[in-house]
Amino acid sequence: MPRVYVLDVLEFKPVVDAAKTMPDVQLSGPKLGYYRIDTRGDLILNRRAMKLPPAVWYGAMTGGVSGRIAEWSMDSLRIVSKG
Amino acid sequence: MTAMALHGVHHTARPTWKLKETVEFYRDKLGLKLVHAISARGWGPIQHPDFLHFFFESGRGSTIAFFYYIGHAQPEYLRAVDCFDYDAIHTAWSVETEAELVGWKDALKMKGVEVVMDVQHELIRSIYMRDPNGYLVEITFQNRPFTPLDHADAARTITAAIAMEERERSGGEKFAGIEAVWNEKANRLDTEVEWV
Repeated sequence: MPRVYVLDVLEFKPVVDAAKTMPDVQLSGPKLGYYRIDTRGDLILNRRAMKLPPAVWYGAMTGGVSGRIAEWSMDSLRIVSKG
Repeated sequence: MTAMALHGVHHTARPTWKLKETVEFYRDKLGLKLVHAISARGWGPIQHPDFLHFFFESGRGSTIAFFYYIGHAQPEYLRAVDCFDYDAIHTAWSVETEAELVGWKDALKMKGVEVVMDVQHELIRSIYMRDPNGYLVEITFQNRPFTPLDHADAARTITAAIAMEERERSGGEKFAGIEAVWNEKANRLDTEVEWV
């Protein structure tokens, strides 16, 4: 299962808010200042939907990624299971 | 022993090969006061040319300074190049409000200075311009202070990145991208915290 950690700061809040609307997602935390997002299938995020500026978007996974980044474009990110 | 603490920037310095244009840019266009100028014979290393070293005030006691080496041609290795790693060397000044930043942007445009980028970063918004030598100069507004959480996360990021650098140095996997750092951070957080 893909998993990401999101730093609990204002800039990355849209990622946490997006997780709340995803199907088959488990949102945990914040603990130690991080939210944890686990998804059953691929973890997919859309920059425009989250209204993230590009410079924030390309650093939004800085909390940590458990999985493999299969796609990352200007607007779309897909993280898949590592296995 | 005196505590080892610093109290802000006194000056940063770079060489200039365009004396008049440099003064026109920093003093006349940006409005920074010329506050000090050293004019001296070359001293120290035997090949050191005569020089000017001059300072413009940039707020809260800070200055930006330039060296002008008289009769010394610009070496190829100091020519500005249009590349991200060259632009890593830059000066960024603070303003206190976003309205002030927008005010600078408008004022620069009025004075014929091109704002080459306006970027919302994670917790700063910055505008960028180039000086007569091609050096990148930035003005930035920070919309929240750094918190203990930022400090802790910075330590986690850099610790993970150093581990990746060390792995490559010791003959292991190449440090090829940021994903390795994020994987490492996640591995550490997986074990540090009881999540369930």
